[in-house]
Amino acid sequence: MIDAVVRREVTSLFRAPFAWAVLAGLQFVLAYQFLAQLDIFDELQPRLARLAAPPGVTQLVVQPLLVTVAMLLLFIVPALTMQSLAGERRAGTLALWYSSPIALRTLVGGKFIGVLCLLAVPWASTALMPFTLAWGTALDFGTLAAGLLGLALLMMAAAAIGLFFSALTSQPTLAALGGFACLMFLWMCDWSGRLDGEPTLFTQLSMMNHFQNFVRGYVDSADLAYFLLVTVGALALTVWRLDGDRRAL
Amino acid sequence: MTEDCLLVARGLTRRYGPRAALVGLDLALARGDCLGLLGLNGAGKSTTLKILTGVLAPHAGTVAIGGHDLARTPLAAKRLLGYLPDVPPLFPDARVDEYLALCARLREVREVEAAVGRAKARCGLADVGQRLIRNLSKGYQQRVGLAQAIVHEPALLVLDEPTVGLDPVQIRDVRLLVAALAREHAVILSTHLLAEVQQICTRVAVLHEGRLVHEGPLAGDACWLRLRLRAATQLGRLQAIPGVQQVQPADDGAWLLRVATPAAAEHVAAAVTKENLGLLELRVADSALEQTFLALTVGHRAQAGA
Repeated sequence: MIDAVVRREVTSLFRAPFAWAVLAGLQFVLAYQFLAQLDIFDELQPRLARLAAPPGVTQLVVQPLLVTVAMLLLFIVPALTMQSLAGERRAGTLALWYSSPIALRTLVGGKFIGVLCLLAVPWASTALMPFTLAWGTALDFGTLAAGLLGLALLMMAAAAIGLFFSALTSQPTLAALGGFACLMFLWMCDWSGRLDGEPTLFTQLSMMNHFQNFVRGYVDSADLAYFLLVTVGALALTVWRLDGDRRAL
Repeated sequence: MTEDCLLVARGLTRRYGPRAALVGLDLALARGDCLGLLGLNGAGKSTTLKILTGVLAPHAGTVAIGGHDLARTPLAAKRLLGYLPDVPPLFPDARVDEYLALCARLREVREVEAAVGRAKARCGLADVGQRLIRNLSKGYQQRVGLAQAIVHEPALLVLDEPTVGLDPVQIRDVRLLVAALAREHAVILSTHLLAEVQQICTRVAVLHEGRLVHEGPLAGDACWLRLRLRAATQLGRLQAIPGVQQVQPADDGAWLLRVATPAAAEHVAAAVTKENLGLLELRVADSALEQTFLALTVGHRAQAGA
């Protein structure tokens, strides 16, 4: 039955011009940055050749690209998820799910997978761009794979947080702003203490720290656990919040 | 009686903040029953239906559908349920066929296409299957909402004001459809139209300020005539008129005559003129249901105001 929810979510995302516009804009920015980084790499290459262990194209082109995608996702994902529950609450269509024999966790899970189906498009295009370089140069496939895994995990966490904020309100704009604020906080919450070098609670909370490790090519189980915990936690809160809609207080 | 009842609700209470929307409501419904839920605006009709369909949880009380408790085994209970809320829960960006197929899948229908075809045929939607719901008129959207509620042939059908926004022909069609459905399923519908209840319901419940003030079977198709005479007469003489089944004195000196059809007025007029009783007024009286309803709701309000 979850496939029916997924199909509905994907249909509603792809039938609106919004998703297409966002995907097109994102692709444009990524392509521009990719080419610009390549250009820099090309200019630096003679000097890099003199170094003992020069950074390769993966470090100089692909890693900055992944960080840019991640930053842009902080804006984009809440905008994509804002309709999925807040819009339904406003339109009164949540009554359809509530009166049907479907558990709330199936509903939330279906919507989550639906959003991931859409996010798979920018993930795939981000992955394809570095692969075009494989004809001309040697790529560090291990680092690349770790980075792409990190990107997928980041997308999952962001989608779950976006859904949670969408469940909080009947105003899609408010849901988008809330999700964006939350993701932004998680991204940069350790910036103030960064120079001291002492790891704090905020270092552990920071999404960017955990993501950077993947980009550098480290797959640490602590980072993996972080993203999975954030995802599962946000989805559980979403179910809890939807249940609260009908609960008698 | 409780065992063979499809729907049993006991002691339903719901508050919105400090305001009590529903207080201690009991309802029971058997297969083949069509219950009309009547009440003024804000009487708690929609709240009741939301609680019965699991959209809202009550502060107190239980709902069981087909013996399945709605709070403990919600999925089993909801499998027996079709619900049309006051605003039909439609996805404007979906095509009618897609939307109905989604609803059929959600309700675990095995042969989705056949079920969708049947629901469309019943609701007069056969020609609009490929249209986007957004582009349909309000009347058609209401029909899609109804088709959604019956696509899985639920044992219990809950309709919140199903004929709002329809034109007279569509209203007639929907009433016929609901009456047909009520023969095999149990139906609850809320409305503020008394005529609707009279046409299609077998039972009626009146809600007033969150309380159930009346519940019972609907008294036949009989109609009442109101008769006022100049001369005094006796009840027995009026009862002797052919076609008159029952006579009651009304409060203002007039008489209420129960007849099988309004056409009996002809006999009444003839008899009264023959006996030279001085006919002042003869018309179809407000229905018994209307009288009950007004007494229970407006009467309550007058008492409360006094």
